[in-house]
Amino acid sequence: MQPEAFPLIRLDLAFESISGIIALIIAYYATKAYNLTDQKRLADLSTGFFVLAIGMFSHVIGTWYFYVRLGIEGDIVPEVRTTMTIVTLVYHFLQIMAYGLFVLSTRRGGRARQPEMVTLMALPVLLDSNLELITILLMLVVVVQALMNYATVRSRFALYVFSGFFLIFLNHLVLMTAEENVLRYLLSQGLQFLGFIALLLMVYKVGREE
Amino acid sequence: MSRKRAYRSKMRILADMMRTIQSEGEDGAGPTKILYSANLSHDRLTQYLEELIEKELIREAEENGNRVYLLTEKGRDFLREFVRIERFSEAFGIEI
Repeated sequence: MQPEAFPLIRLDLAFESISGIIALIIAYYATKAYNLTDQKRLADLSTGFFVLAIGMFSHVIGTWYFYVRLGIEGDIVPEVRTTMTIVTLVYHFLQIMAYGLFVLSTRRGGRARQPEMVTLMALPVLLDSNLELITILLMLVVVVQALMNYATVRSRFALYVFSGFFLIFLNHLVLMTAEENVLRYLLSQGLQFLGFIALLLMVYKVGREE
Repeated sequence: MSRKRAYRSKMRILADMMRTIQSEGEDGAGPTKILYSANLSHDRLTQYLEELIEKELIREAEENGNRVYLLTEKGRDFLREFVRIERFSEAFGIEI
């Protein structure tokens, strides 16, 4: 990572922290909905956003600790690099778990089945060669399901959800091509942030409109 | 495009009954009106009406010698909350 990247990393941490808080708000709302309706898919949705928030906060804490607090510049020593790799792996693992839960909870028709869930949870262990690719594939399924839902219900709330998931999907696409390009990395984080803002708008409008 | 609803949760049935009662306003809704609007059998209707009264979401009254049901304040609050949750769930493609 280039030294001039550090101020940008702080901005990235701010984006991710706010996105994590939004994920917690959505998890809270989904839990509330589950308590009232006993719909299992709402519980899966809630767990998904909760797991995603945990992943985001651990990523923020890990990055903040190594890059900002320790003030690492230039070459990173191997021990720190290993720890950062572990933090990133945990982050990807939690993201995959969360997106797997989104795939299950937002799919159209039927009820959530446990075997599918187990398979999805095992995916990161079975295929750890390219976690980002798995994340993109899972998110693609979520986006398609959100689009199909919007095409059916045609509500503005469903449009917000589709937009939110689509922006999060774009974030992963840009991230995959970012490599050492800090600006692309920041763009990807900005896209994710906007995606969560769209989801937050949905929750806000659902509560406000009569 | 209309969505085929194969299964209605109990919560949705109760909400449908309360919506029917609300749509009748101050006059209240009679059992037959609720029965047809919520598409229920007579036994189910009686059971659910008792449950709604017990939870103080609706109340029973007499209107020109006929039995009618009215929404309570608690019932109105519940219905508002249900509508929000219904919109939230629908936005994610989850039927409740």
